[in-house]
Amino acid sequence: MFCEKAMELIRELQRMNDGQLPAFNEDGLRQVLQEMEALYEQNQTDVQQAKSEGRTELIPSIKLRHCCLLRNQRCTTAYLYDRLLRIRALRWEYGSVLPANVRFHMCAEELQWFNQYKKSLASFMRSVGGDEGLDITQDMKPPKSLYIEVRCLKDHGEFEIDDGTVILLKKNSQHFLPRWKCEQLIRQGVLEHVLS
Amino acid sequence: MFVTDIRKEFYEVVSNQRVALLVASDIDALCACKILQALFHCDQVQYTLVPVTGWQDLGTAFFEHKEQFKYFVLINCGANVDLLEMLQPGDDSVFFICDTHRPVDVINVYNDTQIKLLIKQDDDLSVPAYDDIFQDDDEDEEGGDSGNESDGGSEPSGKRRRFDEGALERRIDRQRARREWEAQRRDILFEYEQYEYHGTSAAVMFFELAWVLTKDTKDMLWWAIIGLTDQWVHDKITHMKYVTDIATMQRHVSRHNHRNEDEENMLSIDCMKISFEYDLRLTLYQHWTLYDSICNSCYTSCYFKLWTLNGQKKLQEFLADMGLPLKQVKQKFTSMDMTIKENLRDVIEESSNKYGMKDVRIQTFGVHFGFKNRFLASDMVHACAALLESTEKSDGDNFINALDSLSRSNLDHLYSGIDLAKKKLLAIQQTVASCICTNLILSQGPFLYCYLMEGTPDVKIFSKPVALTLLSKYLLKAFVQSTRNKRCKLLPLIMAAPKDLEKGTVIVVGIPPESETSDKKNFFGRAFEKAAESTSSRTLHDHFDTSIIELKSEDRSKFLDALITLLS
Repeated sequence: MFCEKAMELIRELQRMNDGQLPAFNEDGLRQVLQEMEALYEQNQTDVQQAKSEGRTELIPSIKLRHCCLLRNQRCTTAYLYDRLLRIRALRWEYGSVLPANVRFHMCAEELQWFNQYKKSLASFMRSVGGDEGLDITQDMKPPKSLYIEVRCLKDHGEFEIDDGTVILLKKNSQHFLPRWKCEQLIRQGVLEHVLS
Repeated sequence: MFVTDIRKEFYEVVSNQRVALLVASDIDALCACKILQALFHCDQVQYTLVPVTGWQDLGTAFFEHKEQFKYFVLINCGANVDLLEMLQPGDDSVFFICDTHRPVDVINVYNDTQIKLLIKQDDDLSVPAYDDIFQDDDEDEEGGDSGNESDGGSEPSGKRRRFDEGALERRIDRQRARREWEAQRRDILFEYEQYEYHGTSAAVMFFELAWVLTKDTKDMLWWAIIGLTDQWVHDKITHMKYVTDIATMQRHVSRHNHRNEDEENMLSIDCMKISFEYDLRLTLYQHWTLYDSICNSCYTSCYFKLWTLNGQKKLQEFLADMGLPLKQVKQKFTSMDMTIKENLRDVIEESSNKYGMKDVRIQTFGVHFGFKNRFLASDMVHACAALLESTEKSDGDNFINALDSLSRSNLDHLYSGIDLAKKKLLAIQQTVASCICTNLILSQGPFLYCYLMEGTPDVKIFSKPVALTLLSKYLLKAFVQSTRNKRCKLLPLIMAAPKDLEKGTVIVVGIPPESETSDKKNFFGRAFEKAAESTSSRTLHDHFDTSIIELKSEDRSKFLDALITLLS
C-alpha cells in the first residue's frame, strides 16, 4: 500500500517519545522519496493520456496518487521537523558539546543545523545581560541557594571548579559546591543533589 | 594543642577556606558531622565529606586529598595516635581533631602548629606535664669537655687531672639523672596510655560551637542529644557523666522550648518539639510490642534471666502483677489501649522495684513532629546503628543511609533502620541465650572468652565491630547475672566472631568487666598489641578503638595463650 514507508518513519519517532534521538533513517527516507518519484512519473503519464486521449476514467487514480504524494510529503517533513526539535532540546540538555553517540545519530545536514543554532543562541546570550552576556541555559529552575550539597554516585576522578581548585570525586563522598558547576554533572548522573 | 576559643581558632579560620571532613563510622561522629554540615551550609563553606572506617582508610583519604585541601577536620578519629607520623603531611596542612577517644596522644597535645584539638582541656584528660615527657636536650658530653678546655692551657697538669675527674663525675651524674628521668617518663607514659576510654561526645562539642555562634537550631540540638545517647547505649561513658551531660542538654532544650509554654502562640503540631522524658529503659518499645521490647531489652532480659524457664515465668508474673493482659501487651504499642498507656511508666516502675530492677527508668529526650512521629533518642541510635552496619550493602552506602536517616525528611530510612534494629536485637538475644545455655563462655584465668562459631545463626551481623561490642556487653551482663562463681563476675570479656570467611579472619573485641561503678576504662588495646607482637600473629589494628582487632583464625589460639600469660 502507498505511504506505508512514511508511516514507518513516523512510528519510529513515536516509539522514542521521551525526547531521545534515534539514528537518522536515510534508507527509509530514500525509499519514501523513490515512491514519490514513481507516483509522480505515473501521474505525469496518466495526465498526458487523459488530456490527449480524453480518458476521464484515469482521473480518480490521478487524484489518488496526488493525495499519496501530499501525504508522503507531510510525513517526511513532520519527521525531519520533529528531529530538529529534538536536536534543539539537546543543546539545552547537554550543552554545546554533544556526546559522541548522539552525534552519530545525526546526519550531516542536521549537524550543520545544530552548529548554526548554537551560534545564534550564543550570540543571543551575549547580547542579553550587559557586558559578559548571560548564560540562560543554566538555572532552568529558580535556584534556592548558591551552593548545593551533592553526593558522588560513581568515581569520576578530578574535577576543577572556577577558582582553580581541584576536587576528587570518589564514590560516596559528599561535597558542597557552587550550584552552576554541579548542574552538568547532575544531569549526567555522576552527582546527586542531596536534599536535607 | 587544645583550642581554647573554638569560634576564633577553628570556625573563623576555616570559614573562608575549603575543608575536608574525615568522619569515622559511628553514630556520634555522624551526628557531629550533620551539625557541622548544617553550620557550613549556613555560612557557605565549601567542604568535601569522606567517610573513613579505620586507620588505613584515613591514610588513603588523606593521601588522595592532601593536594587539594589545607584544612582537615577529623571527627572521632585521630586523637589517640601520633597523627603527624602516621600521615606524614606537608608543613602547611592543619588538622582539627574532635575525637572522643582518650587518651589523647601526647605528641598531638603538645604540637603547636599543625594539630588543633577541639576538645575541652578539662575533659577528663590528665595529660602528663610537658617537662615530664619532653626534655630540650642541650646538655651532653660536649659541655663537660668545653669546660675543661676553657680552664685548659695555663693550668699545671695536677690541677687539670682533678678537673678531669670533676668533669667525669659530672658526666656520670648527668647520665644517671637522664636514665632516671627516662625511666620515670616511661612509667608516666605507660600509666597515661594504659587505659582507653571515651570523653565528651563530639556532637555535643559541635553543638556548643553552634550555640556560641548563635546558629543552633532544634535539629542540631536533637543531633547532639542522639550523639550523647549513642555513647550511653554503647556503654562508652559512665552513668555519672551521662547524667551530667544530660543536664547540660536539658538547659538547651528548655531554652528552645520556652515558646511552647505561651498558650497563645503555641507552635503548630508539625514543628519539631524536643522534650525531656524520664522514660523506660525498654529498647524501641514505642515502635514494637511491649512484650517483645521487654524480652529483647538487655536490662529486663538480664534481670529476669529470660533464657531460663524460670525467667519466663517471672515475666508472666510481672505482667500479671501490673494488671496488663497478655493480649494487650503482645499488640503493637501504638494500638494498645489508651487507659493502659497513660500510666504505663509509673506502673512499670512500681512493679520493677518489687522485682529488684531499680533503674528501669532513665533520663532521656524524645522528639515529636507531626501527629505520627514520636521518637526517643535511644530509638534513633539503634535505628541508625543498624543502618550503619547493615550487612547487605557496602560500607560507603551504609554510611550514606545512616547519615540520611538522621534528617527529619527521610523517615522511610529511619523506619527501615528501626526494622533492622529489631532484627539485630532479636539476634543478639538469641545468641546471648544460646551462649549462656550451652556454656560457650569460658573462663581463661584473667578474662572470660567466647567464640561464635561459623554456623551460628545471624553470625554475619556480628562481624561488624559495633554490633559485636553491643553483643559482648549484653552477654557479659547476662553472664554476671547467671553465674554463681563470684570471681568470674569481676572478669573482663573477650569475644571473637568470624569476620571474613574468604580471608579466614576473625574480629576480636575486648570489653572491661561489668560492675555498678565501672569507669569503662579498657586496657585491652595495649594488651592486644603486646600479645600480637610477642607471638607474631597476623593482626590488623585498623579500628579507631584499639580494643577491636582483626586476626587470622589460625593464630587465634596462640594469641589467646599470649594474652593469658600477659594478663595473669
